Amino acid sequence: MGIEMPLKVAEVIEANTTEFTAQCYELYQAPPFGSLVKTSTAPVEIYGIIYNTTTGSIDPGRRPLARGKEESKEEDIYRIHPQFSSLFRTECNVLVVGYNEEGRIHHYLPPHPAHIHSFVYQCSDEEVYQFSQSLDFLSLILASQGKSPVPVEELLAASLRYASRTHPERGEFLITAGRELTLLLSKEVNCLSTILKRIQGE
Amino acid sequence: MTLDLVRVVAQIDSLAHNLRAEEKVRYERLHSAMSLLSSYACETEKLRGKIATSKTSWLIAEPQGKLDQSCPPSPCPDDFTVIATDGSQIDVDRHYSVSCYLINIGAVTLHYGGNPYASLESTPFLYFGEESNLADPKGMWKQAIKGDLLGIKRSVDECRHLTELAQSLPLGTPALALLDGSLVLWRLETQGYPDFVKQNLLEEGFLSSLDSLSKLSEQGNLTVASYISSPGSTEVVNILRLALCPYEIANCDRYCSGRDTVRKCEVVAGIRDRDLFQQLLSPGERSALFLTRSKIVRESYREHQILFFYLRLEDEVARVEIPRWVVDNGHLELTHALILDQCHRGEGYPVALSEAHEKAVVSSTDKEQFWHLVELALNHSHLPFTTSAKSQSKRTRWV
Repeated sequence: MGIEMPLKVAEVIEANTTEFTAQCYELYQAPPFGSLVKTSTAPVEIYGIIYNTTTGSIDPGRRPLARGKEESKEEDIYRIHPQFSSLFRTECNVLVVGYNEEGRIHHYLPPHPAHIHSFVYQCSDEEVYQFSQSLDFLSLILASQGKSPVPVEELLAASLRYASRTHPERGEFLITAGRELTLLLSKEVNCLSTILKRIQGE
Repeated sequence: MTLDLVRVVAQIDSLAHNLRAEEKVRYERLHSAMSLLSSYACETEKLRGKIATSKTSWLIAEPQGKLDQSCPPSPCPDDFTVIATDGSQIDVDRHYSVSCYLINIGAVTLHYGGNPYASLESTPFLYFGEESNLADPKGMWKQAIKGDLLGIKRSVDECRHLTELAQSLPLGTPALALLDGSLVLWRLETQGYPDFVKQNLLEEGFLSSLDSLSKLSEQGNLTVASYISSPGSTEVVNILRLALCPYEIANCDRYCSGRDTVRKCEVVAGIRDRDLFQQLLSPGERSALFLTRSKIVRESYREHQILFFYLRLEDEVARVEIPRWVVDNGHLELTHALILDQCHRGEGYPVALSEAHEKAVVSSTDKEQFWHLVELALNHSHLPFTTSAKSQSKRTRWV
């Protein structure tokens, strides 16, 4: 696996111990749902998983109007109104799932939340691989049940699918993850079944 | 209870009733004005002669073509840029011990065509100390910049920033530099400010920017205009008033001042230019050009004499003002086409001005935050920050 440079994609605009919100530098260019990102808040790097992405007007008082009735392509709307790219913004909500201190990865919450204006980087494949050597982060995702605007089952499945792509033995990784989930969700068969269906065939 | 809306409703009913009663008279006057416009359409030269010699109590424009001319728009170029600035201010507040004011300038660049892009920015400027006054270089006089004068200073700053934006544009690409409101700083004339104020804000400020814009317009493909939505002006209707005047050389003060008899020119009273052109023009068309004869322009604007035309949009008639050199440089049709295109893109109002306003606007909450920050900064420096009892009373409402 080659060494990849981390890609700076966003900046923290709101943070607490369990999650943070980041504004993306480019419209619609949020990291994928379920992907691993990190933010550098010295002396630690905080890891998080994208659990929700929102795009809307920068000014809450200015609601976008439908503009494309006369256009044949969606791109034409942005071509005719080039200012739109500056008037909308994409934000993503990130669930904190661990941190790295002095090269050691911890799969539990960091001592302090991220700082406002901390840069957010998309983790390289190597970092995702290293982070997902332990599956303890799954319990942090499960703990967010009820808080996230998306079903936790979807987030668990998406994060496992995303991480599995960095493992040479992809199937084996998913089987191990499935076993872990079976332990964590022994009393929630329906939930477990939903997740397993979503990671099958990867 | 603050405003008793129940009691206001009854008064609004009277207002509507009154307007209904006036509507018939207004319709008749508009009909007369339209007939006059056609009758005198080809007498431009004769009217110009009478305008030059007459002394009227109302501002009158000088027609540059047939009065009832209507010009369709030219097509837009494939690639073009529109730049615009607008400003907002926090005025000096005499209730605070600190004397300062703030001007926030919104600046917009929109490029259309093969590689569309947008830049929307705002820049705040805080003026205090010596900068909060204009000083007479020859004497001890000082004029505080506040109220109306701050409004003029803001217009000057808007034009200066527009010039800076224009200077950063690549030469060659057709471009429109757009301001909100009038290019005529008439309030500098009517408020009776001392000459050094006019020198500073007009000659060294506004006209200096127009000098630079004029050079850019001459070298490249830049046109400059200001846009007035729903204008209340009557400078064209006043041409009809003059045409109706029975005196060879009209002189309102000499012939009609204090007379009880109804003046003949009252036939078109109450009609605005926009009412005329709403009837005359089809959507997208512009009127003939007119030269403003505002005193300040004639006496002080040098080569930057201001022309204007009316532009018919779907829902309203707008007034577009341009310096004369825009026409001399052959950019009149470009101005017409690009402003119309801006209005189409902006649902009836130039989108660049709309966005510049959005970047510039200072809300009442912003003003409160601003004064709070001033208070904090003064406290941090162990300086007193006092407010008047009236201001304090408004901030801490009690029963």
